[in-house]
Amino acid sequence: MDRNYSQDLLIAIERADRAGANAVIQAWAAGRDFRQVVPELLAPVLETFGKVWATGHGGVSLATGYVASKIAEDVLTRLLQEAKDSGSVLPVKGPVVLGNVEDDFHPLGRKMVAAFLRADGWDVRDLGVDVSAAEFVDTAEASGAKVIGASAMMYTTAKNVAKIRQEIDRRGLTGKLQLAVGGAVFKLRPELVADFGGDGTAASAVEASTLFETLRQRALTLDSPAGGLHP
Amino acid sequence: MIQEKQKLCLSCSIFRKEIEALQASGQLDLPVEFLNSMLHMVPAKLEARLQEALSSARLQDPEREVVMAYGDCCGHMDTFESEPGTARTEGINCCEIILGSEAYRKLRKEGAFFLMPELALAWRQIFVGQLGLLGPCAKTFMQEMHSRMIYLDTGLVPVPHAALQEASEFLGLPVEILPVSLDPLLASLRQAVQSAHRHD
Repeated sequence: MDRNYSQDLLIAIERADRAGANAVIQAWAAGRDFRQVVPELLAPVLETFGKVWATGHGGVSLATGYVASKIAEDVLTRLLQEAKDSGSVLPVKGPVVLGNVEDDFHPLGRKMVAAFLRADGWDVRDLGVDVSAAEFVDTAEASGAKVIGASAMMYTTAKNVAKIRQEIDRRGLTGKLQLAVGGAVFKLRPELVADFGGDGTAASAVEASTLFETLRQRALTLDSPAGGLHP
Repeated sequence: MIQEKQKLCLSCSIFRKEIEALQASGQLDLPVEFLNSMLHMVPAKLEARLQEALSSARLQDPEREVVMAYGDCCGHMDTFESEPGTARTEGINCCEIILGSEAYRKLRKEGAFFLMPELALAWRQIFVGQLGLLGPCAKTFMQEMHSRMIYLDTGLVPVPHAALQEASEFLGLPVEILPVSLDPLLASLRQAVQSAHRHD
């Protein structure tokens, strides 16, 4: 009987077993083109995992979310190495800027988002913790990023998302530069996304790439000469 | 004659020894009800328990001024604070309240992971039991985000050297012991008492 790699990988992630998960991926890759590991194995498994995670971590510990992001990193490392060895270039979706807002020192969620975005082809400019609104927008302008991802864990620090919103608007970039927000407080209180000026959020780190793609498309539409008046 | 309003402090048990020491020394004259610090592991439970404690306090005496000795520990802490006669100690979390803002920010920027005395003894329950961190995953996890652990020694219980050594080995981070004064906590509590009074 054929091995169910997807199921085996999901089980390894749910057990927070990084080595076991990498062994499943290695076994899957035997005789296959490793470049297909993301679309054919990792992405569908992470999608399933993300749905469980998004429903409130039902049985999903912090460790399993973390391990899932490390597996994405491991896959990306191998993809980059193979591309380097073969002289090829991995497709890149475009630059995005990530960081924890001013006064926020909780990097875990941001690091997980960065790992999933990179594995999905984004060029992530990760600014770290305690990032000022000006730094976010400066980096976005310099890199040509259409989306900023701002992370905040608590209400106290989430209020600083509003400073990024003000900075974007002050520079006349409203709509052209989209603001994704995430962190525990936004999950608990989704109304804060709009209250603090965010353009969107994702239910889990795994779903960040889909959100960023949606926001990037919106920014491109609003930045086009037609200004989004035509489909 | 104007009668002074009754006061109550709802505090995380993480501050139990420290607040009891301030009461015993006569520096803090405030009745305190402690809630279990492990409620933090499920913020929704902490929020429900805090709401219950606040409602109960107001039911007994609608005029009572309530001080919450907490950081921004659950999703609606700001809603609780906005109730008339209610105020919270200033600080994002218990470590900032104990250390004071300046010292906390400096050490946090350096990558410090803080251990309060009560949590130092429960480290395995938290990291393994609650967070699910096991084996090499625990070390990678901590080393990726922190440079060292700092035990905040308030001087009220013996430093748990053995537990700290175990945690240090398991989590792969060096540990240092930082003696801390109770002055920032006392100042924060006094400030909150004043704010609750003004907030009426």
